[in-house]
Amino acid sequence: MQKLSYVTRDTILNIRRNPLLSIATILSVVVSCFLAFVTLTGKAVVEENTSRWQNGVHVVIFLDDRVTTTAHKQLQESIQTYEEVREVQYFSKEEAEAEFRFLFQDQTDLIKEVDFSILPTSLRVNLFNPSNYQLIIDRLQGNPAVREVRASGEAIQRLLDMTSTLTLAATSFAGIVAFAAFILIGNTIRLTSFAKREEIEIMKIVGASSLYIRLPFVLEALLESLIGAIIAVGLGVGLISYISNSSFSESIFTIQISDGYLLELTLIIFLASELFGFIASYLGTRKLVNV
Amino acid sequence: MIRFKDISLVFEGGSVALSNITTNIDDGEFVYLIGPSGSGKSSFLKIVYKELVPTNGEIEVTGINLNNLANWRVPLLRRKLGIVLQEPKLLKDRTVNENISFAMEVLGFAPGEIKTQVNQLLSLVGIEYEAYKYPEQLSSGQQTRVAIARALASKPLVLLCDEPTGNLDPELSSKIVVLLEKINRAGTTVIMATHDSGIVNRRKKRIIELDTGKMVRDEDRGRYNFSGDA
Repeated sequence: MQKLSYVTRDTILNIRRNPLLSIATILSVVVSCFLAFVTLTGKAVVEENTSRWQNGVHVVIFLDDRVTTTAHKQLQESIQTYEEVREVQYFSKEEAEAEFRFLFQDQTDLIKEVDFSILPTSLRVNLFNPSNYQLIIDRLQGNPAVREVRASGEAIQRLLDMTSTLTLAATSFAGIVAFAAFILIGNTIRLTSFAKREEIEIMKIVGASSLYIRLPFVLEALLESLIGAIIAVGLGVGLISYISNSSFSESIFTIQISDGYLLELTLIIFLASELFGFIASYLGTRKLVNV
Repeated sequence: MIRFKDISLVFEGGSVALSNITTNIDDGEFVYLIGPSGSGKSSFLKIVYKELVPTNGEIEVTGINLNNLANWRVPLLRRKLGIVLQEPKLLKDRTVNENISFAMEVLGFAPGEIKTQVNQLLSLVGIEYEAYKYPEQLSSGQQTRVAIARALASKPLVLLCDEPTGNLDPELSSKIVVLLEKINRAGTTVIMATHDSGIVNRRKKRIIELDTGKMVRDEDRGRYNFSGDA
């Protein structure tokens, strides 16, 4: 109990002795944890959205209206037999008009100007694997009932590629900042322990264990890391909440992160920052503290 | 109590600090470790409290074989030893009372026990009226007494003193030696490294003399007959 009281008191004293250094350490932990939080959350948002898109329409086949409806239906049945195809939906001119009116309901001027007769009938195809869109395009090449084929798979692939690049860049940056935080924590602890070298020397000659001598420094690093991680997660959650309620969220992305994912991510950030703090402080005091 | 068998210590680079030292020091003995500067006195003591590890030989201290002692158990050994260095190494921002309390606090003594024992220790070393002074307000002799009191805080079986009178004038040195003899009479084994011939010749205790790392003399009631730099 007496030892615990000493360790707690000494930990607080260490932080109060070097407030600026402690603040710098906490800030670097905040930046690295915040970057990690935003990167991982952003990746999850993009994956969630692309997955939603991938479950939608992958290929739209605009039909030639000069061909009979019976021919359109035959083509639909034929496409349905392709092994890559999960579902084919027939979309009439009326349905195309209704969809257009819905999508542009806020732009009454545009709706007034449009000649809806030019909207073609179409077949909307959902694939088991969206990356197979090119096979469908190839098979329909030269088909007289088909006016044009458009695939969303290409756009999704581009988005996924871009997301991967952005994730890699953000993760690398977060890694660099985390490394800087690691060095800073180790350095802070080394400076604090160096300032207390006489005290440490006395502790060693009277028989205090390495663990006991080291504990206040390790606790200091753990506390600074935890404070940094809490601030970072708080900022991250605040940012998600802000973006969720912004107009950006209502455009193409759905910014929705489940509570389970947030909890998991928070725990990972906390554990990682504590692990960093522990290792950095352990290494920072290794030379001075070892008997 | 302390057994050295063929102990040698060679530093990196080949400099020999101790060479084939074999000796026993029994419970309750008072031993002067003498010899000129660089003769290996400090290395001898540092091996006893495992600050240094011999390159050869076997060593046993208070029944513990130091050759097989894991690093994490070194603090357990040191709690059985009191260590006083030439520089008292007192914490400047703490009073005499707090300096001794600090040592007891890190060893896990209860607050009530610390208070009682600190008063007893201060009284034993004769500085009970200086308890609330800071180290800078004390004389060198008084600082050494505080260091001795701190070393006794863990009630050690052996007190190792490395030139504790090195910075003191002859009168203060004598007083410190009288104090150490008082502690020895209470049952604590005392090993004191010194090159102060005056003290050694007056007190007539066992001497172990080292010269360039070799043990050249081990005598009961010995005298300092070397013309060293004391």
